[in-house]
Amino acid sequence: MPRAATTSDAFNAIAEPQRRRILTVLKGHERPVNDLARALRITPSRASKHLRVLRKVGLVRVRGVGQHRLYGLDASGLKPIHEWVGGFEQFWSESFDRLNEYVQELQQKENPGGIRS
Amino acid sequence: MASAHRSQTASDREIVVSRTIEGPRRLVFEAFTDVTHLAQWWGPNGFTTTTRAFEFRPGGVWDFIMHGPDGADFPNWIEWRDIVPPERIDYLHGERDGDPRAFASTVTLVELGTATEVTMRAVFKTKEQCDEVIERYGAVEGGKQHLGRLAAYVVTLVSGGG
Repeated sequence: MPRAATTSDAFNAIAEPQRRRILTVLKGHERPVNDLARALRITPSRASKHLRVLRKVGLVRVRGVGQHRLYGLDASGLKPIHEWVGGFEQFWSESFDRLNEYVQELQQKENPGGIRS
Repeated sequence: MASAHRSQTASDREIVVSRTIEGPRRLVFEAFTDVTHLAQWWGPNGFTTTTRAFEFRPGGVWDFIMHGPDGADFPNWIEWRDIVPPERIDYLHGERDGDPRAFASTVTLVELGTATEVTMRAVFKTKEQCDEVIERYGAVEGGKQHLGRLAAYVVTLVSGGG
């Protein structure tokens, strides 16, 4: 649910997890809104709302190709976030990956072959 | 997307990261409670830690250095504030004792059948603190140096990899 306040700056805009996922999806290549909505399993209207917020803060740009509107990352708007929040998330994302592996090890040591219910 | 992200209302001064861990909550919690465990997983790929002090109790401190893959060292100082086994850990995270830029973090563990959802929520004192940090990070220096350096490293990886 985008609120007016989320358009005040890029940092605000990406506080919303779904919008961060949109940026991740757009990282590889431009997409029309329907494509994006499908990839994220959200409605096109919801995707549009998020895209509007992201455009206002300069994280996403749009261009018309024929009848389509293609949305893509705006790298310049992303820079401060990439440098900070991106790093922070990366930190935890990778830590959690490692934690996941480590917990498997702990589980096997403790209870080889067994699964707790 | 296999991981079960819950929809959270993050305010303008919070950052929330969550992940589903394949294992019982009891074990995931345990991995946070002992430095021999933490040393095995804390930090991004390629990072290691050297612990100077560790005491897992409210008011206890984990004083450690993170070593980056490029050889850079980053001081870290964590004070545990509230611990509710096996579901929640509150702590302050800074670079040193009394760091005015230290921020509050909460780890919550939620059982999802045989898996566990871990959520890390960092809360900054003010939106201005967030903004200030962002600005400072443009030059990759200052307060959260370890994160800034890490971010620079990540940017290098991203731009290198296309």
